[in-house]
Amino acid sequence: MNQIGFPLVSLAIALPALGALLVWLTPASQTRVARGFAMLSALGALATAVALVARFDASQAGYQLVDSVAWVAAWGLSYTVSVDGISLWLVVLTTLLTPVSLMASWNAGGAHPRLQQALLLLLAGAMTGVFVAQDMLLFYVFFELTLVPTALLIGIWGGDDRRRAAQTFLVYTFAGSVVMLVGIVGLYQAHGVQTGIYTFDLATVLASLQLGAVQLPLETERMLFAAFLIAFAVKLPLWPFHSWLTTAHTAAPSSGVVDIAGMVIKIGAYGLIRFNVQLFPQAAAWAAPAIGVLAVIGVLYGGWIAFGQRDMKRILAFATVSHLGLIVLGIFALNPQGLSGALLQMISSGITTGALFLIVGMLAARRDSRDVQHFGGIWGQAPFLGSIALVMVLASIGLPGLSGFIGEFTIMLGAWISPVLGWTYVSIAVIGVVLAAAYLLRMFRLVFMGPPREAGAPLRDANTLESLMLGVLLVPTLVIGLYPNALLLMMEPSVQQIAQQIGQTLASR
Amino acid sequence: MSDLRWVIWLIPTLPLLGAVATLLLARGERAAGMIATAAAGLSFVATLVAVWVLQTMPAEAARIESVAWTWIDVASFRVSFGLLFDRLTAVMALLITGVGSLIHVYSLGYMRGDSRPERFFAYLNLFVAAMLLLVMADNLVLLFLGWEGVGLCSFLLIGHYFDRRSVPPGIVPAEAATKAFVVNRIGDAAFLLAIMLIFSRLGSVSFLPNATLGTPGYLERAAELAFVDVQLGPLGSIGVLTAIGLLMLIGVCGKSAQLPLSTWLPDAMAGPTPVSALIHAATMVTAGVYLIVRNHGVFSAAPTAASWVVGVGAVTALLAALSAATQFDLKRVLAYSTISQLGYMVAAVGMGAYAAGMFHLLTHGLFKALLFLAAGALIHALHDVQDMRRMGGLRQHLPFTFRVYLVGALALAGIFPLAGFWSKDEIIAHAWFTAQNPAIALILIASAAVTAFYMGRQVALIFYGQPREAHAAAHDPHGSMRWPLVVLAVGAAIGGVLNLPGVHWLSSWLEPTLAEPEAVYSVGKAVMAVIVTAIAVGGGYLGWWLYARVVDGNIVPGKTDPALYYLGDIWRGAELGWGLDWLYDRAIVRPYRQCSAFLGRVVDGEALDGLLVGGTGRTFVALARGVRAVQSGHARRGLAVFLLGVVVLLAALLAMTMR
Repeated sequence: MNQIGFPLVSLAIALPALGALLVWLTPASQTRVARGFAMLSALGALATAVALVARFDASQAGYQLVDSVAWVAAWGLSYTVSVDGISLWLVVLTTLLTPVSLMASWNAGGAHPRLQQALLLLLAGAMTGVFVAQDMLLFYVFFELTLVPTALLIGIWGGDDRRRAAQTFLVYTFAGSVVMLVGIVGLYQAHGVQTGIYTFDLATVLASLQLGAVQLPLETERMLFAAFLIAFAVKLPLWPFHSWLTTAHTAAPSSGVVDIAGMVIKIGAYGLIRFNVQLFPQAAAWAAPAIGVLAVIGVLYGGWIAFGQRDMKRILAFATVSHLGLIVLGIFALNPQGLSGALLQMISSGITTGALFLIVGMLAARRDSRDVQHFGGIWGQAPFLGSIALVMVLASIGLPGLSGFIGEFTIMLGAWISPVLGWTYVSIAVIGVVLAAAYLLRMFRLVFMGPPREAGAPLRDANTLESLMLGVLLVPTLVIGLYPNALLLMMEPSVQQIAQQIGQTLASR
Repeated sequence: MSDLRWVIWLIPTLPLLGAVATLLLARGERAAGMIATAAAGLSFVATLVAVWVLQTMPAEAARIESVAWTWIDVASFRVSFGLLFDRLTAVMALLITGVGSLIHVYSLGYMRGDSRPERFFAYLNLFVAAMLLLVMADNLVLLFLGWEGVGLCSFLLIGHYFDRRSVPPGIVPAEAATKAFVVNRIGDAAFLLAIMLIFSRLGSVSFLPNATLGTPGYLERAAELAFVDVQLGPLGSIGVLTAIGLLMLIGVCGKSAQLPLSTWLPDAMAGPTPVSALIHAATMVTAGVYLIVRNHGVFSAAPTAASWVVGVGAVTALLAALSAATQFDLKRVLAYSTISQLGYMVAAVGMGAYAAGMFHLLTHGLFKALLFLAAGALIHALHDVQDMRRMGGLRQHLPFTFRVYLVGALALAGIFPLAGFWSKDEIIAHAWFTAQNPAIALILIASAAVTAFYMGRQVALIFYGQPREAHAAAHDPHGSMRWPLVVLAVGAAIGGVLNLPGVHWLSSWLEPTLAEPEAVYSVGKAVMAVIVTAIAVGGGYLGWWLYARVVDGNIVPGKTDPALYYLGDIWRGAELGWGLDWLYDRAIVRPYRQCSAFLGRVVDGEALDGLLVGGTGRTFVALARGVRAVQSGHARRGLAVFLLGVVVLLAALLAMTMR
């Protein structure tokens, strides 16, 4: 067991999975009971995550609250889950967005409500699993497990293009992850050969690499790095692998249910930190300038295309591509500022873009369209919806005082002072600040401002449920904007450790 | 009196709380107006108390510092959420809360009958709070919060009539609001780079050493970098401080509406008139000037950057003044006038005349607020007529408005002994005698002549000549719209006493903060003042005489200015703001939009999605088809592929462990 004698981390995975099972077993007529089970398990997971934060020792860098059970001992395969400064807040984000996505699912209605909720819970459990898995093979299993519910959610409830989108999503991300599997096995093999210990345990492998018990030849390290990079770059997605993301968001149900759940698919960025940067610092420093270029292209490319779109979900999808570019830039700054900024931005972008997807869903339900040109002047009719949308737009374009700025600024600062990137990257990426204001305010202006369109009844403002789910997302937006240190302090030791490791590598080069 | 230091937190917090309370609690115009006005007024009182506390401190240590919490703390990068209230901040805060409160009071009357008074007053309060945070921040990042905050508030208030198709003279409020924010963002992006460059070279973003966080202050270290260069690769190299200064200058150009980023301000009048007064006088546009004064250590050590600042300021002063001379819209004249006057301030602080720049900032704050509020009274009286061609001869109908407007116009024109005379003269004298830069001085003198001309023209068009349209019902403002005008008129008239030659209240008050030598007065300067005033009187009289006596009968609503006949394209160019909007639309906005559509449709749709994704997908499906024995169905296919992967993995594992 672990130091507190209670499998808290495992509970965060098990509760949503259990909830999914209960929802599935509830008779179809008992909608309320099913909802109750779903929400209870989601809130239980959230409470577990809060407990994790409370029990987390902010002074330690390594894995904490470890639950470990041998699985296939002969292969060094175990069920080991834990949290550290990198994964802690991502678990909180996942468990926070799950109840919101359930509420969105209730609000949107639609066919097979039980199945939708069960799949959302499964997705939540799998994603939590990805963040807490300390065993590489377990990570892979959870990684793949997230694909199935996502593809089903798009494929069953999506729009016109849903089949193609679901297929693209599955095939594309799976193509990447198979390469990662090769990487995992390669690392396992290399570790086993050199130390005689065949294990998938990340902590052990990391320690061996850091202490020099395992010394990877330069080419091997770069090959392994590349294997993980391909998987995560596709998963992120990093430009130019982003098409599946924009297709998936466009085809996903208008309600935003899947989009918000999918917001947590910052798994790619997490994987980059956990594997590429932490395990292979030398290769990371070697590849950083090239990846930085792709990241900066992504920032500008996403922002530029978002400006010309009429479908609000496509605008937000390309905005996500732009955000992810910045996150990757932060990760490959390879210093505490860049890494912490990237983590904060992952959380902030998940919350703000997620909220905007929900708002688009609410608008689409009222007007049966997501085209910005079918709206206009609705701020007066729906003041609450408009104001929340504006706050989220502003948070997303990085207005200081709201969540987006902190991550954005720390990332750029980190990249600027990074020995592997430098000011040139930042002075180009900073254009994204202007582009973001241009495309998001354009969307806000066309939808909420201007003269109201004559046709149709006045648009209804948010109902209680809608207000509640947007309110839930508003709180962290403000808290992170004004007191990001609450999060940063807990990330600090883990992030520092990674940065130190890289610093040593760079110094010895 | 150190136990009263906490009072500085009240200064920005009160209007912030006022904004929240107005938005959430206030129902109805009266409640909203009262809460917001009380919050602004109390903030002014708190500022007075803070100034008094400051006064009791020894001059060399006259500052109040207070850190509420550590905002960002990542490794070496530490930012406090803390305030710094020193003598420079005190001057700014007095202007912001003082003039800001008067504008609140005025709005009580002006906004009567508005459909969204709660939002209006809440945003007004928020505007004041953001500007206060800007001038009170103890570090650059928190300053940036206020900097972007005023940008947001300008967006909200310019867009107050967001659902109107257009407001006179043909501006779409929603577009004007977005334009203001996005143009400002260009400056903000450069400002961000400046902050990062400062941190990377000086290791701190705090102005002064911060004991609570243990961070050094970057201002005192700036001089160390005077001869350090940044390498720009193939572009050569540039001094670090020069780079910082130039990046900040771009930020200043955005926020203070200097060329070439000035285009947002003329459109910003789409908001209600009190908002224009707030933007032009008390908040927002003065932020750029404040930024340079606050970073005077950087600019004095970076002569190249400083000379760019002077150049931008002087050119803006002249070109914007010429634009102001050609407008027929009442508020647009004043808008270009603000750009021009800010040019004076920017040029002044670029030359190192910090006290003179601050002096002009203060007097301009008084008379420009007066002019805009008086313009609001006119617009009210004439039922939303803003076109000066539809006015004329109004001094009989509106004697009070005429008098206060005249005070403002004379102060702006720099006529002795009103406020504008003293402050403008100080800048010109500094350019000629201290900076020894006759070219700049001549440009500024020429701008002064044009300034007087356009104010003479405006007064003539509005108040003199024959009434070109009947405004029988027009009446002077009452109550809450009247006495702020009186207060401001008195201020615009006697504001010069703040820094009279030989008395120097403002200069000596700021001296400990700015360490700027006091200006010495000489006979030469007095002669200069007489000459400049004579030129201003001449320009003003010319403007008045031409439009009240000569071309009076040729002014027709909807028709062009008679001067166009003589000046042709120059007049037209000035009228259109030198075609900047046109240029940006053709050179940037349209190509950007078209490229965006092209990128989205062709590059992303066809090339990337079609080839890369489609290709990968097809290859992969083709591969999978070979080994799978599962019937169609996409989810199943995915599952099959997944299972296949697991099988491959297990096989590989077995093979390796068996070895």
